[in-house]
Amino acid sequence: MLKDYLLPETTAKAVSLLDNCKGQARIISGGTDLLLDLPDGKVATEYLIDISRIAELKEISLEDGVINIGAAVTHNQVAKSDLIREKAPALANAAGSVGSCQIRNSGTVVGNVVNAQPAADTAVALVALGASAEIVSSGGKTSIPVEKMYAGVGKSIVDSTAQLVTCVKLPAALAHQGSAFVRLEQRKALALPMLNVAVMVSLEEDKFEWVRICMAPVGPGPLRATAGEDVLRGAKISPELINKAARAAANQANPRSSALRGSKEYRLGVLPGLIAKALEAAVTRVMEKTNNIGEEV
Amino acid sequence: MKVYNVIGKSVRRLDAMEKATGTGTFTTDLYLPGMLYGKVLRSPYPHARITSIDTSEAEKLPGVQAVATYKNTPRVKFNTSATMTTTVPNMEPVLDQYIFDNVVRYVGDEVAAVAATSEKIAEAALKLIKVEYELLPAVYDPLEAMKAESPVIHDECHEGKNIPGDIVKIPFGDIEKGFTACDAIIEETFKVPIVKQVQMETQAAVAQVNPNGKITVWSSTQTPHPSRMILAHVFSVPFSKVRVLGGPYVGGGFGVRIGLSAKAEPIAVALAMKAKKPVKVIYNRKEDFIASDVRHGGYVTVKLGAKKDGTFHAMDLKGILNAGAYCSFSCETPGVLGAMGLSVYRVPNQYYYGHSVYTNTTPAGAMRGFGNPQAMYAIESTVDMMAEKLGIDPIQLRLKNIMQAGDPWCLPYPCNSSGLAECIEKGAASIGWERRGKLNRPGTKILRGIGLGVGSHVSNAWPFCVDYDNAYVTVQQDGSVLLASGVPDIGTGTSTSLPQLAAEVLGVSLEQVSLTFGDTETTPFDIGSHASRTLYAAGTAVVAAANDARKQILEYAAEYLEVAPENLELKDSIIYVTGQDESNTKQVSLKELTYYAHLHNKQFIGVGRIVPENAPPWEAHFAEVEVNTDTGQVKVVKLTAAHDVGKAIHPAIVEGQIEGGALQGIGYALSEEIKYNEKGKQLHDSIHKYMLPTAEDVPEIEAIIVEANERSGPFGAKGVGETSLVPTAGAIANAVYNATGIRFKEIPITEEKMYRALRKKA
Amino acid sequence: MSTKTLRFNLNGEVKEVAVSPSDMLLDVLRDKLNLTGTKKGCGKGECGACTVIMNGEAVNSCLVPAMKAMDAEIETIEGIGSPERLHPLQEAFMDLGAIQCGFCTPGMIMSSKALLDKNPNPGKQEVREAISGNICRCTGYVKIEEAILAAANKNKR
Repeated sequence: MLKDYLLPETTAKAVSLLDNCKGQARIISGGTDLLLDLPDGKVATEYLIDISRIAELKEISLEDGVINIGAAVTHNQVAKSDLIREKAPALANAAGSVGSCQIRNSGTVVGNVVNAQPAADTAVALVALGASAEIVSSGGKTSIPVEKMYAGVGKSIVDSTAQLVTCVKLPAALAHQGSAFVRLEQRKALALPMLNVAVMVSLEEDKFEWVRICMAPVGPGPLRATAGEDVLRGAKISPELINKAARAAANQANPRSSALRGSKEYRLGVLPGLIAKALEAAVTRVMEKTNNIGEEV
Repeated sequence: MKVYNVIGKSVRRLDAMEKATGTGTFTTDLYLPGMLYGKVLRSPYPHARITSIDTSEAEKLPGVQAVATYKNTPRVKFNTSATMTTTVPNMEPVLDQYIFDNVVRYVGDEVAAVAATSEKIAEAALKLIKVEYELLPAVYDPLEAMKAESPVIHDECHEGKNIPGDIVKIPFGDIEKGFTACDAIIEETFKVPIVKQVQMETQAAVAQVNPNGKITVWSSTQTPHPSRMILAHVFSVPFSKVRVLGGPYVGGGFGVRIGLSAKAEPIAVALAMKAKKPVKVIYNRKEDFIASDVRHGGYVTVKLGAKKDGTFHAMDLKGILNAGAYCSFSCETPGVLGAMGLSVYRVPNQYYYGHSVYTNTTPAGAMRGFGNPQAMYAIESTVDMMAEKLGIDPIQLRLKNIMQAGDPWCLPYPCNSSGLAECIEKGAASIGWERRGKLNRPGTKILRGIGLGVGSHVSNAWPFCVDYDNAYVTVQQDGSVLLASGVPDIGTGTSTSLPQLAAEVLGVSLEQVSLTFGDTETTPFDIGSHASRTLYAAGTAVVAAANDARKQILEYAAEYLEVAPENLELKDSIIYVTGQDESNTKQVSLKELTYYAHLHNKQFIGVGRIVPENAPPWEAHFAEVEVNTDTGQVKVVKLTAAHDVGKAIHPAIVEGQIEGGALQGIGYALSEEIKYNEKGKQLHDSIHKYMLPTAEDVPEIEAIIVEANERSGPFGAKGVGETSLVPTAGAIANAVYNATGIRFKEIPITEEKMYRALRKKA
Repeated sequence: MSTKTLRFNLNGEVKEVAVSPSDMLLDVLRDKLNLTGTKKGCGKGECGACTVIMNGEAVNSCLVPAMKAMDAEIETIEGIGSPERLHPLQEAFMDLGAIQCGFCTPGMIMSSKALLDKNPNPGKQEVREAISGNICRCTGYVKIEEAILAAANKNKR
């Protein structure tokens, strides 16, 4: 049973509450995962510190080419944000595919990352987009790439009884960059993904300058498919190349067999196609942007 | 085409206002002063003997007011399903359940229960109950469970190991001789999954026991009167001392609570008796999944023989179903599978053999269709295979062989009506059947196909089960009408359609009719809401009661007006002489007449007591599907569901039944299933894990109503409730075959199954 | 166990209720305020029967800690209309046969209202997305979708 449910109005207050409670308090934002773990006994705590009232955590902003998403920003806010849809579309799509409309109105992108499920949709997108998280505690502030935030299956490097993630930051896509998110699911709402893939591409005329490919659940956390990225780097864009890269990427994947969401063989079988689809979609997004700019001129 | 005043119209439902404003109450909403909350301790093991159970710590927890186990509850055997009240003479119902037993037979089986002042305290108390189990071997597949090496789950199985009740055998003609005269024979076995009703209101009961021993139970049951009988039997009290009623509303059923709502009612009553306070027992969603009846999964084998011109000449059907740990409706379901499977086509030589088998899984009971969806997936797949083998178009093959009115069949009532041919014709036009076979260009990654499936069902359970209805109509002293029917409204709209029938017969407006329903205290016996029977059977009783009242009114009016009763009409609440206009003085308003009668010491009370006949509704479903050959995902693009319902008393209600059932059928075909792990634990025990369709997964669904009037039904109506997922899986499987050339002998056709089959084919 | 006072705006009226820090908003509405229109179908945010509108957004009240509603604006089915003055959504649901057993109805209507309040002219896909978290097992969603679109059209006139 909880002793108290606290609603601090500033980050400093939240941090000081964490300190005072000496590990007996836990950060909550939307709570759509945490509130299921508490009655199940997977997590125990005496206090909940709700950060959803803290003004500076509720913003999505763009500053010096960096998008900043506060810890209290919900999935639907991200999914419907013009800024995100334009400058980080993979994240908008990812956030828009979580759970259901109601879950997306409560659950937060940062919460999704901290909950550290292997196929957390927004985490997969954020890794592909090169995002990092700002973590605050009474000991100070650090910035960690989202890619490095998984300590194990379902375990975040963030200790929510001592630390608070205040935001995630990611570079806004430039004109020659695009991203895409693809999800394989058994129904279109209220379903965890069988597989999800996010890619970000940076193009130089008719070549891939660099690519980030992130796939899940194929390991403890979202996995960068570096083998696939290597195939594409500096190479000329073509469907054959994309398929080759997709196969190389899939070779790095190690999904387990799920009784509910597909066997290992099935997931490995369909994964290359999904990666290829994501790459093509990301490239198309860049082309559309370039064409539009061309037309304006 | 006759024009009616009230029926045939999609009037605003009489329960709609309460439900739209949130003021209508369900059992789960009820609160009584001093009420306690009951929670149930469940077995974590699939098969075990309880060697010791110590509730002393739980009893001491502050707030706990009663604890129940097998030691302090009636040791009376029963069956949670209505079976024990509806099994016809010469057959014996299988009674294999106690409230609590000292053996547990599936993960989730009830072990003990606590009533406390709050849910949280009750849950905490459960954790304090110390139980020791001696584990027993467990078996999960029905074919395995019949083998010598498998554990015995129930002792009293006279037909064979773990087989409850009697094996069903339906002979018709000469099956052996029939096959020898066939030019083409196809034999296949199909596997069907365990699926779940997932009605939105979980199992719920609130029980109150008065100091004089009168038991009142509000519950989510689909059948208050039979449930009353079961409870009275369990607690050894006269039936008249038990009252069962709904909230008044019931949040869906789809068969999960024909009879008791799992064990919610008896557990609530047992706790209320001990605590001497009202007790509310609500299953949480996980309990609803693991501990309330599922649909029978199992194996259906079809052997179909035809002449080369397509005439079906012999059909052998076999059904082996998974009963789960307790019998529930496991004797009847194989029977319906066979009876329905054998009565769609005109086949002179048929044979059905079927039964269920106990396993250590959640008990299987009634779910919409009750064996028929299992049968028709298998049969319709086989019929399409025969069509291909003989080179005949699947529609033509069906039209050649489907039952027509007057044809002989194996059922104990005649086939008086069939609009199936019209259903097929209209459905084919709607789906664009002529596009079939022309949908795929070579090299396309998305394959498209079109298929159909047909089926029938019943309009109530007579004569397979005890089935009868009573109703009464009391005309009030101002001409308004109070109708009483023992049928609850589980969402199917009976609380509107039954008053529609009464209003039509009595010549009054719908606003003049009030209905008391689903309460054993205020209504005469009615079986309740199941077997697609309420409109057809309870409706027949309502019409009979209304006709009885109408006759009394006209006879009384005849004296009052000094006109022969046969010359009088009753319409718009006015009794007048036939053929005369409004200005004629030989007329009287119903309001005036009933008040006059009251002042002369009389009330008009109509009673309807009927045993229904039975009549087959017919349905044809057409599906257009898309198969993604990269991922194996199968998507229904359009589902057309054409149904012969005899007469649509309330067209929007009928459409709603068709649309809702069709989506359940799509789920059955493509995504819904409950699997168990090697420890007997359900893997799909939540709405999140169980893949029923959401609003974003709905294809285009077109419902088509065909009315082939059935003279035995009220105003020509037949049943509809269960029909809408009978042929769906067959139609989809046939469409999938048309798209890919792959015949699936197992549903659901998940993306992984399709993916593997496509790779294997390539 | 400590009690706190939850103060919030419920259907236009300020309310104060004693709650425990572990309470969920759904339980406060149903058990403490006796507003049983909002239903509990699963308790885990998987079915939407408990949907209410919180600060303009549809949420699963079974997963909203009561204290999170402090000073928030909460709308439930009881507040959006009355028999004398029904909300267009309530009318459309009633008139178009979108109600069968009625258990999903309050949550379904609240999700729809949240949509129409923000987007008075939604397309079919937007309607489906708005009710993506509301499970109905009776209707197949067909007449529900029709009712929401009809209510939207009615507002246009």
